Amino acid sequence: MIRPPLSLLAAGLAILIGMAGLVRGAVPQSTGSVSSSSSSAAPIVVSGAYVREPATPNNAAAYFTVSNTTGTDDVLTSVASGAGGQAAVHTEDAGGSMTLMSSGLVVPAHSSVTLAPGKGHVMIEQLYGTLRPGQTVNLQLTFAHAGQVLVTAPVIAIASPAPTAGPTK
Amino acid sequence: MRGHFGVRAMGVRRGWRLFGAVVSGAAIVLAGCTSNGKPSATTSELSDRGNSIYQGVGLTPAQPRPQFTLTDTAGKPFKFGSQTAGKPTVLYFGYTNCPDVCPTTLADIANGLRAVPAAIRAATQVVFVTTDVKRDSSAVLKAYLAKFDPGLPNRFVGLTGSQEQIDAAQVAAHVTLAADDGQQHSAEVLLYGSDDYARVAFLQSNDEAAQVAHDLPLVAGIK
Repeated sequence: MIRPPLSLLAAGLAILIGMAGLVRGAVPQSTGSVSSSSSSAAPIVVSGAYVREPATPNNAAAYFTVSNTTGTDDVLTSVASGAGGQAAVHTEDAGGSMTLMSSGLVVPAHSSVTLAPGKGHVMIEQLYGTLRPGQTVNLQLTFAHAGQVLVTAPVIAIASPAPTAGPTK
Repeated sequence: MRGHFGVRAMGVRRGWRLFGAVVSGAAIVLAGCTSNGKPSATTSELSDRGNSIYQGVGLTPAQPRPQFTLTDTAGKPFKFGSQTAGKPTVLYFGYTNCPDVCPTTLADIANGLRAVPAAIRAATQVVFVTTDVKRDSSAVLKAYLAKFDPGLPNRFVGLTGSQEQIDAAQVAAHVTLAADDGQQHSAEVLLYGSDDYARVAFLQSNDEAAQVAHDLPLVAGIK
């Protein structure tokens, strides 16, 4: 499911993270990447990203809003994270269960999709280390059209309110 | 593909409708730049209150405090009915590998408790029952709950047991029986009052901590 470049990136992240014992810090990105704080010209804008400090050592959940600024539907096809060996989008299905989005998360043209508790998240598994508030988790999102988008998600304390979601467009 | 985890709302049509309202309300709240614990203009969308005095989901008829015995994180039997009798008690079923709704719900409960008067906080007991008996040992439960209850006068009680015991506890509490090794479980947070009845329950939402903080004093029997 994950294409070679992502695997390589994930491996690179894993090494970095392993060395640092942390998930802090930005990972240099290729010029093709678009960061979540980039200009409004970006086809995909990701905002309000955060990871809630997990209470279990086994997994963590990342949340954010994906806005598609283009006139064409896009699909979030895969996710890699610097915080763990596996990451995948899970959303609530018609039956109310959180289910792996094997076909990808569709972000319709000129609209946005919000992953929020009870609604959907990126599940990060095989955590490389303990996630603590103040750290940052890197998420590499791959879209069918927009390509790769880097998101840096702060880790918030378990009891913290969710950060407000931008953007105000 | 079965969900790796899921949350069942109340297993009745009313419950699903409410849960839908909660979910869509939460999305609106997020988009509207309002964060957890802050009641917003969309509050009225978050639960179907009608004439209820509660901000959570009113339970009609009220549900009596259930009787079941499980094992606490010290390995001792915990008789829920008698050991929590007369105390405001929050009861929630979930599992520690649940990445999303369970930790958010437990954090909401803790934050709700932090917002009520100290006497009520000191009287209230929070009980978390695992639905994943295979993975949630007493040690796992203890470490997990310790992430949520710092600063609170009463530690959260974590309970486990045999699958049969867990099933019996869910039946006694009138929540939807969990499935898939506990990964699909009720989302209902039950609040029993000092009169040993639950008249209100909560579902995870952006507003949940505020709902708990509002409703707990109404049932705590403490001035």
